Amino acid sequence: MQGLADILPILLGAAWLLPLVSFVVIVFLGPRLGKAGVLAGYVASGAILGSFVLSAVAMLLWLGHHWPAGTHHEAHGAESHAADEHHAAGDSPKRARLQAVAFAADDAAPATHAADEHAAGADHGLADEHAERPAYAGTWYTMASFGPLELSVGYYIDALTVAMFTMVSLIATCIHFYATGYMHDELHDVTDHEVRMSDGRHLHRPGRYYRFFQYLSLFCFSMLGLVVSGNVFMVFMFWELVGICSYFLIGFYIERKSASTAANKAFIVNRVGDFGMIIGLMALWGSLGTLAFGDLPVVAGGKGDNSTATKAVRPGIFSLVRPAENHHALTTPDGMVRSAAAAAGVTDNAAAAEAGVVNDWRQQGLGYGLLVVAGLGIFCGCVGKSAQFPLHVWLPDAMEGPTPVSALVHSATMVAAGVYLVGRFYPVFTPEVLLVIAYTGGITLLMAATIAITATDIKRVLAYSTVSQLGYMMLALGAGGWLAGMLHLFTHAFFKSLLFLCSGSVIHAVHTNDMRQMGGLRSKMPYTAYTMLVGCLAIAGAGIPFLIGFSGYYSKDAIIAQLISFRNHNSGFHGVLFYVAAAGAATTAFYMFRLWYLTFAGRPRDHERYHHAHESPKVMYVPLMILATLAIVAAWTLPGTSLSLANVLEQARPAGEHGAGRWWTALVVPAEHLSHLGAVHVEATLIATIVAIAGFTLATVMYGLGVLNPDDVRQQFPRTYAFLRDKWYFDELYDYAFVRPTMLVSRLVAGFDKRWIDGFIDSLARWTRGLANIDDTIDRYLVDGLINRLADWTYGFGLYLRNVQTGRLREYVMLIAVGTVALFVLATFAVGLVLAG
Amino acid sequence: MNTAVALLSFIIFLPALAAIVVAFLPKDKPEAAKLFTLFVTLVVFGVTLWVAIPRDPASDSLHFALGQPDMQLSVGLPWIEAFRIEYLLGLDGISFPLVLLTAFITLLSMWTSWNITKYVKAYCVLFLILETGMLGVFIALDFFLFYVFWEVMLLPMYFLIGVWGGPRREYAAIKFFLYTLLGSVFMLIAILMLYFSSDLRQLATEKNVALFAAAHPHLSNDAGKDADGQPLDSPLMQKFKEVQASEHPWHTFNILALQQIGQHTNDAEWLERLRAGGYDGDKHPFDEAVFLGKSVQWWAFVLLFIGFAIKVPSVPLHTWLPDAHVEAPTPISMILAGVLLKMGGYGILRICYPICPAAGYELAWAVCGVGVVSMVYGAFAALAQKDFKRLVAYSSVSHMGYVVLGLGVWSATQANGFNPYYWEQGVTGAMFQMIAHGISSPGMFFLVGVVYDRVHHRNLDEFGGLFGRMPLYSGLAIVIFFAGLGLPGLCGFIGEVLVTLSAWNFSKVLAVISAGVVILTAAYILWTIQRVYLGPEYKGPHGDHLTPITPREVAIVAPLVVTSIVLGVYPPAMLDYLKPSVDKTVVELATWTKDVQPYIGLDEEQMEEAQEEEKAKTAALLP
Repeated sequence: MQGLADILPILLGAAWLLPLVSFVVIVFLGPRLGKAGVLAGYVASGAILGSFVLSAVAMLLWLGHHWPAGTHHEAHGAESHAADEHHAAGDSPKRARLQAVAFAADDAAPATHAADEHAAGADHGLADEHAERPAYAGTWYTMASFGPLELSVGYYIDALTVAMFTMVSLIATCIHFYATGYMHDELHDVTDHEVRMSDGRHLHRPGRYYRFFQYLSLFCFSMLGLVVSGNVFMVFMFWELVGICSYFLIGFYIERKSASTAANKAFIVNRVGDFGMIIGLMALWGSLGTLAFGDLPVVAGGKGDNSTATKAVRPGIFSLVRPAENHHALTTPDGMVRSAAAAAGVTDNAAAAEAGVVNDWRQQGLGYGLLVVAGLGIFCGCVGKSAQFPLHVWLPDAMEGPTPVSALVHSATMVAAGVYLVGRFYPVFTPEVLLVIAYTGGITLLMAATIAITATDIKRVLAYSTVSQLGYMMLALGAGGWLAGMLHLFTHAFFKSLLFLCSGSVIHAVHTNDMRQMGGLRSKMPYTAYTMLVGCLAIAGAGIPFLIGFSGYYSKDAIIAQLISFRNHNSGFHGVLFYVAAAGAATTAFYMFRLWYLTFAGRPRDHERYHHAHESPKVMYVPLMILATLAIVAAWTLPGTSLSLANVLEQARPAGEHGAGRWWTALVVPAEHLSHLGAVHVEATLIATIVAIAGFTLATVMYGLGVLNPDDVRQQFPRTYAFLRDKWYFDELYDYAFVRPTMLVSRLVAGFDKRWIDGFIDSLARWTRGLANIDDTIDRYLVDGLINRLADWTYGFGLYLRNVQTGRLREYVMLIAVGTVALFVLATFAVGLVLAG
Repeated sequence: MNTAVALLSFIIFLPALAAIVVAFLPKDKPEAAKLFTLFVTLVVFGVTLWVAIPRDPASDSLHFALGQPDMQLSVGLPWIEAFRIEYLLGLDGISFPLVLLTAFITLLSMWTSWNITKYVKAYCVLFLILETGMLGVFIALDFFLFYVFWEVMLLPMYFLIGVWGGPRREYAAIKFFLYTLLGSVFMLIAILMLYFSSDLRQLATEKNVALFAAAHPHLSNDAGKDADGQPLDSPLMQKFKEVQASEHPWHTFNILALQQIGQHTNDAEWLERLRAGGYDGDKHPFDEAVFLGKSVQWWAFVLLFIGFAIKVPSVPLHTWLPDAHVEAPTPISMILAGVLLKMGGYGILRICYPICPAAGYELAWAVCGVGVVSMVYGAFAALAQKDFKRLVAYSSVSHMGYVVLGLGVWSATQANGFNPYYWEQGVTGAMFQMIAHGISSPGMFFLVGVVYDRVHHRNLDEFGGLFGRMPLYSGLAIVIFFAGLGLPGLCGFIGEVLVTLSAWNFSKVLAVISAGVVILTAAYILWTIQRVYLGPEYKGPHGDHLTPITPREVAIVAPLVVTSIVLGVYPPAMLDYLKPSVDKTVVELATWTKDVQPYIGLDEEQMEEAQEEEKAKTAALLP
């Protein structure tokens, strides 16, 4: 137990960092790695293979310590199993169960701690309390801390984490090796026939083989980081990083305008989701002050503190929302209650410290809204990443990237991260949020499936199929089927990556994505054809009812069963979700076999392409065979044991049930074990099988046997066909509703800057200059004018006087005489006046 | 003490002295002038880096001690005694990272100046004076000295844009000058208002002796002994007694003293004391109404904030920035974006809030609103730009909006139990964002400059295909642009996320709007990358000049790339320097909110009543 707590973070940490090492090596050495960087492929593949080996070791160690309990498909499984489990745990302290907190620097305390808690749990007698839910949480390093607030890089490792690690690294390894074959064109100069230069020639450029693997390595690092994350902050960081890797990989053919536009679209649409996610983060962070999933030890008083028996534990989000003392029932955490109270203005902080008040407020429902906002916000991020309605528009365009990318990033792992996060965050969602999740998934499922029917681009069919299947998972999760959704995440990862790689193999052979130019390829490329058939059967959920089936059979069954259970518990409209799921299952079978028939069956429609087609090299079809095997057996139980994917995942099932909503009390999210009840189970299996057969039959009739001509059908419903072909007009709608208004506002803002603000500043300047001019004029004409005039007069007078000064004596004498006389006359006159006065 | 004077003065004035030397260099050797200037900026950066390296304080006191919130290496010498203006310098976690950034960016910017061929000597002289001004602004602790440095920095900038700039350089230079001058005038008015309202005697009381000491970190409190073995007064106590004995108000320009006066001297007891000293008002002098019924500190805050907001720049005082950037030569754009904008944020954090807390509290919404409006407005405007440099300039407006928002999220209110942590986070985020923007934005301008040097245009619609032509350059550019986009693992993310997450507890509306900016940022950055770097071929003129990036250019941008990765992956590398001081500043303001804010504007009786009420409330809660 203790060993596991120490070694798992090291193993998974190493598995996580290996691809980063590969990325750095390729960044610096890139083209120097062998001829044209050919070794880069092996560096990256080796790194991810190493990750897989480490993950597999981690998985084995995990199984060694936490052997999964008996199957849940039996009726009343949960209760009886729980009782067994209790005894098992009691027998062997080494296998102590329950949520265990890992103390990295600790020796014996956690084991006893967990055992104690187990003993305490036994008193409750609740099935849920006994479920095996081991998890190890810890911190690698702190990025920033503010008093008790801490943003850190850490881990949260439970069965789900380990299983995800194994799945992601396994699929990634297959795809890496496949890509060394698929991308070999990039080893030498490439002529890109899709890009025409201004002089009319096609683009000729050097190959970028090593760069492809560089991005793939960065992606693997980011994806594994996302999975190992111990807190939502770290999830968000890697969330963005996988987004940017996806951006690079979609836009791998940077010269193609369509590729770079699709890359931009993917990232920006994801950012719309992230916008919501940030709001969710804020709601959590602002009220709880932590974003950690699990409980973390408080490192108080330094390292010498280890000996103390009682460990200070800082509760994570899960413990806050699902406190053990409340039997893991959904509880609005204190922080949210107080935060809401503060916002409502009813707070007296000192009084709030009294727990009673907080409890009263909680009863009144204060803070529940915050919990809903947090859940919806986080789900918004998942909507973006997992391409759910209404943010699904980026995924089909993302098929511009090379096919191995579509297989790895845009079907098996990254887009599933949204579903993964919903699963991880499951305890925090309120029933209301779950309902939103369910409906989002339902709408997505149906919409994408209908579009897939009409698509002719082989990768786009698969892309819409991915969107649709992700909708399936969301629907399952929203209806309370945690395990069903998670199981489908895994099985889908295997068969969808298989399907994509097969389509890649076909594209590699015929150099087109258009299924209308394929046909009859089965004889040319048998490995591809039959492995793809396996993929189609798996996604359609083929199986012999109640006996055995492809992996999809189990997960789809579980989903439909959960939806039946959901319908049974909720009267009224919500039952529609079940019909959506059933209809989706039929449609899935239809469009998948349509794809298979169009590609591999019938007669070749383009003889030239058919003629050049050939089976792909071994390095490509061996991964196909591995994945095909997994697509068949992934959900099987190891005979004679209780080891199965479902049972391993079951260990990570979030604590506590959801029950009824607080706002919509009529809403009930049924516990998942209720869907294992016999009647529900039988109904689900039968319905799933019937609809799948219906879809398959229709496809066979139309495309396999050619009995019903698809063109006739198309002409029967031209409107519907156009509507589906144009993808429900989402792109056009968004263009008019968001893109254009944004650009308009941006132009308005820029214009406002120029016209109004700068206009104001410039006019101020003009006014100042005008004022200065007036001032200048006054100065020049009035003030100076007056002075000058005066000066002029004086000057003129001086000039005039100068005339007098002639230098002739006679005139002077005369002047003096006249002057004297004049003065005399004046004086006399004046005296006379005075005397007279 | 003396060594600290020497050290800080050396850092500040070495460039100015070197400017004199450059002025006497022979005119016909421009390369020598450049090399010498580069050497000087390198020495300045080397010294600041040497100060930054953590060491054992016992062995060497001339370094910046981590984990220490107070002023360090502080020194004070009398300067203009008639007005008690001092040569007061010091470093703390708020100023030191910015000093480091200044020295770093100046060095890289000088190296970028290699293309300058016009009047090289004059360029180098002005460049060095500019560096002195910038470093002085961050290190000065006397308000008057601060103002002097502020002006010293302004003039060289005016000439550097106006002489070495692009076609519309005169317009841009005058616009820059007038905008900033307007801010300076406002600042000067505020400085004088505060100066004449201040009275150091308010701190020189027995009760406030600790505050007095905090305001004079450069004065030692070590009492020596005279020849007879009698204890002498320490320098601190000497000053204390001198101030105490003064009969007239002791006005001060000391920023730290003004902070203490602004935050700590607003209770009834204090007023009583003040009246005993002949003061006849019934309020703290900073709270005295001066104009339109608003107080001294309200007006001081508003005037200072406008001055700093022009520098940040915040909408609607931002329009000098795009013009200045577009016209300025590349190295000057780097300095503008990397250092000058930071002075605004620095001023708000160092001066506005701590000296005028009551006004800051009242206007917190306005400040945050300005920040958020800048974020949104800048992002929208960036989206519409056709000129590469203008786009980067508007991205600066948007990114610096985060700084203003982070500084203003005064969430330590009663409703939150005066919890300072979220505000700490906001201010830390703002500081980090300043550093991060100081790395990424000069990088972006440099990268624009690299292509401009080659093809002599900046029209975004006439690029494309640079990835094929200049792969290394494009790779580096994409890292820097993603740092601006706020991608995790790069420096821009940390600042943005800290600020955004902290805003929620201040205002949910502003927080949500600020979160929405991530979409616009992604849009304009990715669209730019697509138009410039991606695509099949280059669409503009002079395509044959698109030569690969030179080693010198790589050497300039590589440190920026490395720094942005290091700060993005391991933010404590910077947070360790700035957090203690930021925390202290915020905790002091939070304490002020708790202890002083409720009583502002109350007369003596009301204040007593309020205090009684508060006591009764507390008593009622106790069992």
